[in-house]
Amino acid sequence: MKVGLSKTALRLLLLILTLGLISGASVSTAQETIKIGFVADISGVGATFYKGQKAAIDLFIEELNSSGGILGRKMELFVRDAQLKPDIGATMARELVLSEKCDFLIGGTSSAVALAITKVAHEFKKIVYFHTSNGEALTTTDFQPYMFQVVPNTGIEGRGIALALSKKPYKNYAFIGPDYAYGHSQYESFKTDLTKLKPDVQMLEAVWVKLGETNYSPYIPTLMAKNPEIVYSNFWGGQLSSLIKQAKPYGLFKKATLTSMYDLDLLRTTGADMPEGMLGYTRCPFYAIDTPTMKEFVKKYLDKYKEYPSDWACMAYDGMVVLVTAIKKANTIDSDQLVKTIEGMHFPSLRGDRYIRAEDHMANVGLYVGTTVKDPNYKDFLIMGQVEEIPAEKVWLSVEEIQKLRSKSK
Amino acid sequence: MTFEYFVFMLLNGLSQGMLLFIIASGLSLVFGVLRVINFAHGSLYMIGAYLAYSLSATLTDGSMLSFLALLVAVPPAVAILGFVVEVTLFRRVYREEHLLQLLLTYSLVLILDDVVRVIWGGDPRNVARPDLLAGSVDIMGLALPTYNVFILVIGPVIALGLWLLLYKTRTGNIIRAAVSFPDTLGALGVNVSRVMTATFMLGCWLAGLGGVLVAALASVDLGIGMEKIIESFAVVVIGGLGSVGGALLGSLIIGVGITFFQLPFGRWALVFPYLVMAAVLIIRPWGLFGKPER
Repeated sequence: MKVGLSKTALRLLLLILTLGLISGASVSTAQETIKIGFVADISGVGATFYKGQKAAIDLFIEELNSSGGILGRKMELFVRDAQLKPDIGATMARELVLSEKCDFLIGGTSSAVALAITKVAHEFKKIVYFHTSNGEALTTTDFQPYMFQVVPNTGIEGRGIALALSKKPYKNYAFIGPDYAYGHSQYESFKTDLTKLKPDVQMLEAVWVKLGETNYSPYIPTLMAKNPEIVYSNFWGGQLSSLIKQAKPYGLFKKATLTSMYDLDLLRTTGADMPEGMLGYTRCPFYAIDTPTMKEFVKKYLDKYKEYPSDWACMAYDGMVVLVTAIKKANTIDSDQLVKTIEGMHFPSLRGDRYIRAEDHMANVGLYVGTTVKDPNYKDFLIMGQVEEIPAEKVWLSVEEIQKLRSKSK
Repeated sequence: MTFEYFVFMLLNGLSQGMLLFIIASGLSLVFGVLRVINFAHGSLYMIGAYLAYSLSATLTDGSMLSFLALLVAVPPAVAILGFVVEVTLFRRVYREEHLLQLLLTYSLVLILDDVVRVIWGGDPRNVARPDLLAGSVDIMGLALPTYNVFILVIGPVIALGLWLLLYKTRTGNIIRAAVSFPDTLGALGVNVSRVMTATFMLGCWLAGLGGVLVAALASVDLGIGMEKIIESFAVVVIGGLGSVGGALLGSLIIGVGITFFQLPFGRWALVFPYLVMAAVLIIRPWGLFGKPER
């Protein structure tokens, strides 16, 4: 506040404030909106992901409000940028709850930020859902009841891709990925899962690219030196796209397949540089999911934004579906009652009928595996063809395993 | 490793070295004449890359001609930026101690990086290679990207050009005299401060050229300037501060070294430039081609 406010001005201000309070109270709860706080990763490498997430959530809320809202109230979205930093994410989540009085929270793109947000949500007993960041820890060691997850988590994803690859004839593998903690831990669990299922697999070469390097040409010849049949990479987004563009003239894709996450944003940025016949996986590909809910959603999304919804958009939308289904069913926005409702609840996901497992609040969402192919329906990018869903039930942790992990962490 | 693979890795490494040379020679030249270690050289290189991106977005048709237009237009633009920086800032610190110079160039890094962030944002960008350079060349059964071959050609052209400029022209004589005997040069009536500005602009032109080349080789993001300035610094230490020939040798050692040692040593190959740098500093502190300070 400004120093040196005159007495009259101060009185006037007090008067206005008091009036505001009285009138605010008299409008009463019937008109008040249900407030949703979205702790997003807007700047930095998450920017493209955010665009789809926000677009889908906006679309959902717009529809809901135009059909009269829920419990007679409209919904309102508040967005803050966590900048992929856990401490900022926690501060923003707090601010959304305390200053904006948000009733619910939505997570963003970074797994590290998600861990920070879930703690804040627990502290304030606000329900939060995660749709893009997919740390398995959220459902095991860092589980708290006011959280649910609608994206295949790192466990489902890692074991899912290992299961899919173990059924293929490939034996000679090479790997390329980022030389920092995520890259290493993800690769180690991939290797363990795969060799467990297929002991004769050989890891010929692991190429680690230093942090911040965008030029992959010094690394690609090493990657190819031992003639692998398949290259696995845990690069993602812009880096993966750049790797594909740079590896193409080295003839890598004539000799080996590249297996990695081919989400729609990646396919769009890579465009025609994406080689055909690459075995990949993704989390929620609109083009491969043949359900009436998905068809309707894609149509609406396309009408409004003139582009197809990314995986992140579909999953962010699905989180809203869970939330609203639960609110309708419980007829309240009280967090504790909603938690009880959500546990085991089925919901009309864009991916078909899905439910939230009671013990870890993980939706039974699987991983999609396919092979890149040109499709006349989509001119600007390749899609994955012959897509097969690896159901979550086949690869997620059993309830006993989860409880063991939780008791260990205590 | 087969012989074919050896040659292939060598060529691939040389192309990396040539790119590094184009950037590091600018840094070395500027140090030789101005006696300032310009940490902002990496940022100018990055600006060159982003300018190439912006310009390519307006005129890209995938033709070799539009790519050549980038090569012609962007480096002078960076040189003009260099002119402004030299006249307004660098000129004030030539007679100051090294610490102050470092402070200036380092703060310039922070400022320029933030300017780039404001203008272009945090997303990685890239420039499509022209159709003519998008494919690959067969090297004894192995595919080497045509673009790498292109860099392999451009590098020596630049090296030759610099050599001709420095040793066969009057301007070059003056620049070299400015390195060795700046006071005498002034006494002879040469406008030394103009020589300094021109050299700085030439250094920036090289940074800009490196920027265009990398934009189509890899993707461009906010980290590339910092990453290259460290490598370039190693090159300059190895080759000798102020020596263009040394910069060429240093760049090739590092480019080939990093690429080659990936295979036997993996991620430890990263240590290579710094090992060479340390060895040179111990055995020949003035660099392979440099001269001991008098």
